[in-house]
Amino acid sequence: MSLLTLDGVSVSFGGVAAVRGVTMRVEAGEIRGLIGPNGAGKTSLINVITGIVRPDGGAIRFADRDITALAPDVIAARGVGRTFQHVELFREGTVLDNVLTGLHRHHVYGIAAAVGGFGRARHVEGEARREALALLQVFDLATLAAAAVSDLPFGVQKRVDLARALAARPRMLLLDEPISGMSETEADAAVAAIRSLASERAITLMIVEHNMRVMMRLAARITVMHEGGILAEGTPAEIRDDPKVVDAYLGERDEDA
Amino acid sequence: MRAVTNGAIATLAVACVALPLFGSSYQIYLAELIFINIVAAIGLNLLTGNCGQISLCHASLMAIGAYTTALLTTRVGLTYAAALPAGTMVTTLLGASLGYPARRLSGLYLALVTLGFLEVVSIAIEEFPELTGGVRGLKLEQPELAGWPLSIGVLYYFVLGVTAFAIYAGWNIQRSRFGRAFNAVRQSVIVAQALAIPPERTKLLAFCIAAAFAGLAGGLFTAVVGFIDPTEFDVSASLRQITFIAVGGLGSVLGSVVGAVVLTLLPEMLRGAKEYSDVVYGAILLGTLVLAPKGIVGSLTLLSGWTGHPKARSS
Amino acid sequence: MTWRIASQLALSGLSVGSIYAIVAVALAIPFKASRVLNFAQGELVTLGAYIALLLTSCGIPYAVMVPGTLLIAAACGIALERLFIRPIIGAPEFTLVIATFAIGLIIRALIRIHWQDNVFFLPAPYAGPALAIGSLRVNPAYLVMIGTTAGLIALLALFFQRTRLGKAMRAVATDQTAARLMGIGVNMVFGSAWALSSAIGALAGLLLAPVIGVNPELGHVIIKGLVAAVIGGFGSLGGAVVGGLLLGMLETYAGAFFGAAFKEIIPFAILIALLLVRPQGLWGATQVRV
Repeated sequence: MSLLTLDGVSVSFGGVAAVRGVTMRVEAGEIRGLIGPNGAGKTSLINVITGIVRPDGGAIRFADRDITALAPDVIAARGVGRTFQHVELFREGTVLDNVLTGLHRHHVYGIAAAVGGFGRARHVEGEARREALALLQVFDLATLAAAAVSDLPFGVQKRVDLARALAARPRMLLLDEPISGMSETEADAAVAAIRSLASERAITLMIVEHNMRVMMRLAARITVMHEGGILAEGTPAEIRDDPKVVDAYLGERDEDA
Repeated sequence: MRAVTNGAIATLAVACVALPLFGSSYQIYLAELIFINIVAAIGLNLLTGNCGQISLCHASLMAIGAYTTALLTTRVGLTYAAALPAGTMVTTLLGASLGYPARRLSGLYLALVTLGFLEVVSIAIEEFPELTGGVRGLKLEQPELAGWPLSIGVLYYFVLGVTAFAIYAGWNIQRSRFGRAFNAVRQSVIVAQALAIPPERTKLLAFCIAAAFAGLAGGLFTAVVGFIDPTEFDVSASLRQITFIAVGGLGSVLGSVVGAVVLTLLPEMLRGAKEYSDVVYGAILLGTLVLAPKGIVGSLTLLSGWTGHPKARSS
Repeated sequence: MTWRIASQLALSGLSVGSIYAIVAVALAIPFKASRVLNFAQGELVTLGAYIALLLTSCGIPYAVMVPGTLLIAAACGIALERLFIRPIIGAPEFTLVIATFAIGLIIRALIRIHWQDNVFFLPAPYAGPALAIGSLRVNPAYLVMIGTTAGLIALLALFFQRTRLGKAMRAVATDQTAARLMGIGVNMVFGSAWALSSAIGALAGLLLAPVIGVNPELGHVIIKGLVAAVIGGFGSLGGAVVGGLLLGMLETYAGAFFGAAFKEIIPFAILIALLLVRPQGLWGATQVRV
């Protein structure tokens, strides 16, 4: 049984089909790449899976349960996490604030305990902080815990975004252009981190990226989207040699390809 | 910087505790009014400053708290010590009855719904004069606190104690996972959802908390002022409370305290007619929104970076 | 319910409804242009009445006073927009809502400082005893209200369809970025929208004052204007008008059937119900960013 199943999923916006009848399966433990020219529908697909957008047709199943019409926070609670193309950190907080917010679901106490401020609440908050700091360590952000995110360079913000998404302990993580905006060295470090995280924490990954070099190194299988539909699917080598894929990319003016 | 602030807070605390010993009864009364406004402001700030929900009916909730507490003591015969929490709970329930259907709204539409609620409450107050005294208001005798007659001193320390608790509670809520959820929902609903934070339930909780603080403030008002004038709980009263938090600093308990203190003292110092105080309030509010939207506390943290970096709102 | 009473009520409902319609239209214009809901609109109505009072007390005849009031009100609107609204145009909704409330508070307080809470009499040439039309007794002021509203709608329709400024406003309301790219002076459009809505608000004040008297609480009518705008859906001027008339009729009939308390509650019951169930109103666009 696949971890994520899409069955004929379609979405239109104002008469324009962003996703057309997409059917795909992602197995647990995979690192799946999702590529395609601009406007192919990759981000729309992520939005549909995470529940931000309701599909007009088709069904989506995660961990053998239907998630098609569920609210985004419910889908997230089921174990689907994501990062954002344009980062979207809580700009008024610190790095630690952001990651702690990610732990919301996992270190729980009630409002009465919160008001009281001692006992259970303090104990759980302590645990949350420890886990958050441990996570920051993994991403080399521990020294920046108290830094305001708005001051940080873009590449560092992306790391915070990733740390925050991981704090939610997802079973599957959708990464929307995790490498874009990073320098070469940052990108290499990020790739290594992502790969080891996936295996250590048994997280299934689906990565949208324009950077082909990175994609070829990271992904075991790649799904190619074009104009809302799936053009091809296979290993990086198969995709690279697929004439349909080459056509689609040469047909568009895409500098990263 | 930290030492200076802590020193200032300690001095203020001592002054508050010592006030009944050497202050005039007018000064004591004024301090109690400030405390009541602090309590109301903290609740509103959690809802609006942290959770980002505009509420124009906070004064109505305070009125509900005041009337309920008053009626529970005069009609039902509860002692004040029992009537106060009961009044708070009733207000919280009524706040929930508004917050639940309104949980999906935000921005303008939420503001309008709260405005509608405020008007409905005003009408209800007028339409049930047997309960509320109608437009003429409700006069109360001095309540007793669990058998002790409420002398000036006892009442003062009671209000001070409740206010201190409210500050403590507000501070704890703000730093807790709920405070983080509030800030998350305010800054980005989509990201909050991606982290499994349910936006509607979070907003509803914020509404209930704000209503609880408002109800508590209203109940204190009953004992301190002894007379409930319904025209004092209209839109401009809600706006005044919004001014407290906007000028003091949105999203910060300290901001609520600072705003309530400064803006309660100000009209007293101006000592003019209500219209003059309205103009000053309006001008301060407008000036703050246009020129210094972060409020006093927000601007100070921005300038001095005393928390280590310019962020105003979180743990 | 005889036919006579029903007609009498209808007339009353339409006349009060036309005031609501005017206020709703005044709210809708700057909202469509700049997405700012002017919570000070009620005070602009009040201001219009007091400007009229001032001009009248200077001995200016009615025929000159009316356009004079409208022009002064428009100037005030331009000043408000330039001084307080333009600096905060991109700000979060909280700032926009509260800022306009604050402006209203200041205006009302200033009026009360100068004139206190006295109710002044504003003479109007059409005010007089009820006319007998058929078997109905008609207050001429009602007819003037309804007629003026009809005239205003016609003029506005012409304005938005035929004049350059009107078309520019529609362009900005539809898509600000595109309008800018087409060379339309968006700031000028904002200023004009506020001038227009202030003048329209003053018109409402001119119509209300002879009936109710000039007093600082005239601005309360904004609540009804808001309800009317919500009924009609904020996007549409036609909707605002229909919303106002509908509200006026509902109120009047409800009052007749169920008493004064019901009459007071019904606008807010409608407001809350609509906002919870169908915030885009009866005619608004379905894409509502709630």
